[in-house]
Amino acid sequence: MRVGRTWHDRHLGVLFVLPATVMLVAVLVFPAAVTLKLSLSPEGGLASWTLTLGHYRAAFTDPVLAQAFRNTFAFVAASLVGHLLLGLGLALALNQALPGQTLFRLVALVPWTIPDVVAGIVFRWVFNPVHGSLNPLLQQLIPGFPPDFSWLSSPALAFPSVIFANVWRGYPLVMVMLLAGLMAIPRELYEAAAVDGAGRVRRFLHVTLPGLSTIILVALALDMVWEFRRFALVLTMTGGGPGTLTEVLSTLVYKSYFQFFTFEYASAVAILMSAVLFVLSVPYIVLVGRERT
Amino acid sequence: MSRPAAARSTRRERRLDALVSYVLLALATLYALFPVAWMLSTSLKSEAEAFGLPVRWIPQRPTLAAYVEMWTLKPFATYFYNSTVVSGATALISTAVGALAGYGFSRFRFRFRATLLGGFLATQMISGVLVIGPYFQLLAAVELYNTLTGLVIAYVTICLPFAAWMSKGYFDSIPRELDEAGLVDGASRLQIFLRVIMPIALPGTVATFLFAFLLAWQDLLWAISLISVDEKRTVTLGVAFAVGEFVIKWPMLTAACLIGSLPTLILYLALQRFYVEGLARGAVKG
Repeated sequence: MRVGRTWHDRHLGVLFVLPATVMLVAVLVFPAAVTLKLSLSPEGGLASWTLTLGHYRAAFTDPVLAQAFRNTFAFVAASLVGHLLLGLGLALALNQALPGQTLFRLVALVPWTIPDVVAGIVFRWVFNPVHGSLNPLLQQLIPGFPPDFSWLSSPALAFPSVIFANVWRGYPLVMVMLLAGLMAIPRELYEAAAVDGAGRVRRFLHVTLPGLSTIILVALALDMVWEFRRFALVLTMTGGGPGTLTEVLSTLVYKSYFQFFTFEYASAVAILMSAVLFVLSVPYIVLVGRERT
Repeated sequence: MSRPAAARSTRRERRLDALVSYVLLALATLYALFPVAWMLSTSLKSEAEAFGLPVRWIPQRPTLAAYVEMWTLKPFATYFYNSTVVSGATALISTAVGALAGYGFSRFRFRFRATLLGGFLATQMISGVLVIGPYFQLLAAVELYNTLTGLVIAYVTICLPFAAWMSKGYFDSIPRELDEAGLVDGASRLQIFLRVIMPIALPGTVATFLFAFLLAWQDLLWAISLISVDEKRTVTLGVAFAVGEFVIKWPMLTAACLIGSLPTLILYLALQRFYVEGLARGAVKG
């Protein structure tokens, strides 16, 4: 019997997939379509069929939105670099079956288990100029470090501080995925390369990296989506301030919706944000889609 | 290169690798634990000590006063109950519905299958802020605003693309011959799915379950937008509001933060082995 080819089976497959599909359409796709309509409607005119590009025009000339876009790109790029370096380094270190590695692995996973809200609050407290813990630490390490340096109200350093916290928050996901990828590389490949006289660097370049390249791409793509949407950490750590210096797209849309009640404008910004994210993730969808279907 | 020399050089290499690894792991341990240790330390201080100078790493007179105060001033037991119900229900339902879809994608060939798969993948890119406004109005229309049910429906759906992909990848790594043997024995597809495939796929299922539980427990965006009454707040929402109200009571705030992180911390560290294994088979290979 050829499984999966009968008439009955074809329809059964649809039944298995149906519940998830219905939920995705009802909760994500349909509301997304409403958002699109809202972003094209005049204020308070969702029910009417008048369409306008006014909110998009306003968006394109809004300096705060431009800044939020720049911030989000910088936030995502810097976080990704940090996550990849730290994640890859730790995955390689953890993959060596050293004594005590289980303990190290547990500890390295800790930031992942901390909710964004908590991470934001705790880092705000760490960075507190007078009563926090970072300044005393730096004073001990660097003689002459100013005693009440205010990281989060400094225009130059507020944003790097948020990124520092976000690298902390997000590297374990990349680390775990890369560690899983490393464990999937057959040990014989390394042994064969060693027998051929390949040194450490060449083994890394010719065995580890090729074996890991797909999972690195997948991990970075997933991470990019997560960091693009990161919300609670920024909201609780700086609230977007000082001014709008650490405003990212997700906090801007949230504020436009629930604090300024400019629904149509918020929708337009959300659509722009999602369009950019979607374009950025097309390579990922193609890559994974081709490999896994 | 003569054999002993080669052996010596690999031994030296290995020792160097181990040294570098330990240095890296030690630095990462500091980075990972530094904020958590500071949170723990502050939560055990009195308010006077938290604001005393010079800043102390270890509380001079550790006290649980902040925990007691936090627990009595705010209904944290209710927040905990809400978070547990919401996260548990989300994890259960999204794992089950996601596994069904994963099985469908893994074992059947039907029309629009590839399109649908791509669609599942693409919905991962839909961010919460894009749909939260209309979803909020939708919930209000069916009178599910301010209910845990509305929250669960949202979380389950967000988890579904990942859950479906994860379990599809995991099912793909299980030989189809098992299904065919079941069919020959006269079992139905659903029976095979429940009795044969799901037990084998346990590590992948646990990974999905954890992912969903964590996502629901840690979310703020949906909770802050869909819940406006105190008795329905989740832990993260309670913590976020506590910051607004008690902005200078750091021992109490850090106590709330710590308590709010504890369930996921314990759950994750206890089950992390499944997570790595599940990811390795479900998301990495496949």
